Amino acid sequence: MALFSQTPTQNASRTRPESVSKRLVREHKEVLMSSWKRLWKAPLANLLTWLTLAIALALPAALMLLLSQASHLGQQVNQSSHISVFLSLDTTHEQGLLLSTELAKRTDIANVSYLSATQALAEFKSSSGLEDILSSLIENPLPATLLIEPTNSFLGPDAIDKLTQQLREQDNIDQVLVDMAWLDRLQSILAISQRFTYSLALLLALGVLLVVGNTVRLHIESRKEEILVIKLVGGTDAYLRRPFLYAGFWTGLFSAIIAWIILQLGVIYLHQPLLWLAQSYQSDWQLQGLSWMGSFCLIFTSCSLSVLGAGLTVRRQLNLIEPK
Amino acid sequence: MISFEQVSKKYHEKNALANASFHLQRGTMAFLTGHSGAGKSTLLKLIMLMAHPTSGKVIVDRQDLSQLNRAQVPAHRRKIGLVFQNHQLLMDYSVFDNVALPLKISGYNERDSGRRVRAALDKVGLLDKERLSPQTLSSGEQQRIGIARAIVNKPKLILADEPTGNLDPALSAEIMRLFQQFNQVGVSVLIASHDLELIQRLPHPVIALNQGRISGSASLMGH
Ligand SMILES: Nc1ncnc2c1ncn2[C@@H]1O[C@H](COP(=O)(O)OP(=O)(O)OP(=O)(O)O)[C@@H](O)[C@H]1O
Ligand SMILES: [Mg+2]
Repeated sequence: MALFSQTPTQNASRTRPESVSKRLVREHKEVLMSSWKRLWKAPLANLLTWLTLAIALALPAALMLLLSQASHLGQQVNQSSHISVFLSLDTTHEQGLLLSTELAKRTDIANVSYLSATQALAEFKSSSGLEDILSSLIENPLPATLLIEPTNSFLGPDAIDKLTQQLREQDNIDQVLVDMAWLDRLQSILAISQRFTYSLALLLALGVLLVVGNTVRLHIESRKEEILVIKLVGGTDAYLRRPFLYAGFWTGLFSAIIAWIILQLGVIYLHQPLLWLAQSYQSDWQLQGLSWMGSFCLIFTSCSLSVLGAGLTVRRQLNLIEPK
Repeated sequence: MISFEQVSKKYHEKNALANASFHLQRGTMAFLTGHSGAGKSTLLKLIMLMAHPTSGKVIVDRQDLSQLNRAQVPAHRRKIGLVFQNHQLLMDYSVFDNVALPLKISGYNERDSGRRVRAALDKVGLLDKERLSPQTLSSGEQQRIGIARAIVNKPKLILADEPTGNLDPALSAEIMRLFQQFNQVGVSVLIASHDLELIQRLPHPVIALNQGRISGSASLMGH
């Protein structure tokens, strides 16, 4: 009667009772390991799932990476942009110089270079090739020009708008030209791409949930017998859920790792053409790979989505399996 | 240990169990007999909360089962060792892991669980088969693995549905002796069986079912 003769108290004295938290930690560790081992029982099927999820993750992640860095590019390019201010023709050389030194004091202006009417004409002559015709003119038809470089922190479209508005109200200023159109366009393209990326990310996140959910459903289906027996010997729902949640965690982790590799390969592939594009805008911008933070976000998102997908499915599916 | 009060269970308007009332005292070993389809398995399922009565009250270990909510069902089942009619072993588990399952879900550590599993396997005489797959065992051996799994957690109550169905008379008698041993240390045992010959030789009360009705309960109160 070795099995039944010992009373519970005797049993407790033979093995030191384990605290609840210690027991939970041990149980979770066991499930972590057993779910890890289970992964390699069907490596090909798992790999296919991971690849599917990795693609779904890599796509929005790549777009986000590109966007976050492209808005950076937009700012850098903008730094080389000027505001051209044409003074009225009756402005004297002294007035022009005074205006330029006054404007240079403004906080939103980094630098002002003054181009007198004579200088402007000389430059135009040399660049236009119309030297002869222009020399025959008695009066200089060109105004003096101020080239204004805004301060870095005042490069946003609103600040530039405000600045040009104020410049227009100044005496002696005839015309203010900002080449803002392309910046506006870039801004709206970025805004559109951003919304597109977010919607895509949302849809693909849903896709991840569904794929993981379906995988878990099949997984549960294939272990139906085991689940029935576990329910009959008194396994709790939490106990039954655990291996599937951990499987979800592993799925998320491996998918994220594959997505990360896809992303880095993509960055390497795109690096050169993007460099050319940036250089054509006189920018030293380069496409960077995922930062530590970015990599962490990718892995965290992937794991949470997977565990969530598993959790949402497992509850429902386990309820469907009841011993009859 | 078990009380049925006017319990009926209907499947598709047909009574599998009709107005069944009986009381099994704590520490008693009893048999449940009846023809095939009499409602033996149904009665055991009601105790296991695998089914719920259409009417009437089932009380196990002073607990009215209708009062238990979903989350309390596992704890209730852990109190009971169940030997299945079709033994329900997991073929991709080893014999050892099958028997260890009730311990594993209760969070036993490996050392304690290993000791208990071996004690249980020793009881049913299959200690040397612990590493094998149940598939490689005879049905009698599989049945005994099922019994080892039911007793490994030292339940207060053992329910067995045709535990000797696949066994020869000698082995059947051996298994019955095993149940008697558990009973002697205070475990309540309820065994569904239609092996009348075997039952009549043993001095235990009998609950006889006929078409879902209790037709007799010979010496149930232990006289
Ligand atoms: N899940 C179910 N759905 C419908 N009918 C059922 C269900 N379970 C049992 N029954 C019916 O209830 C009656 C009693 O079945 P039960 O399994 O309790 O009989 P039994 O006494 O265990 O028979 P056996 O000795 O053959 O195992 C039978 O007529 C059976 O058809
Ligand atoms: Mg039956």
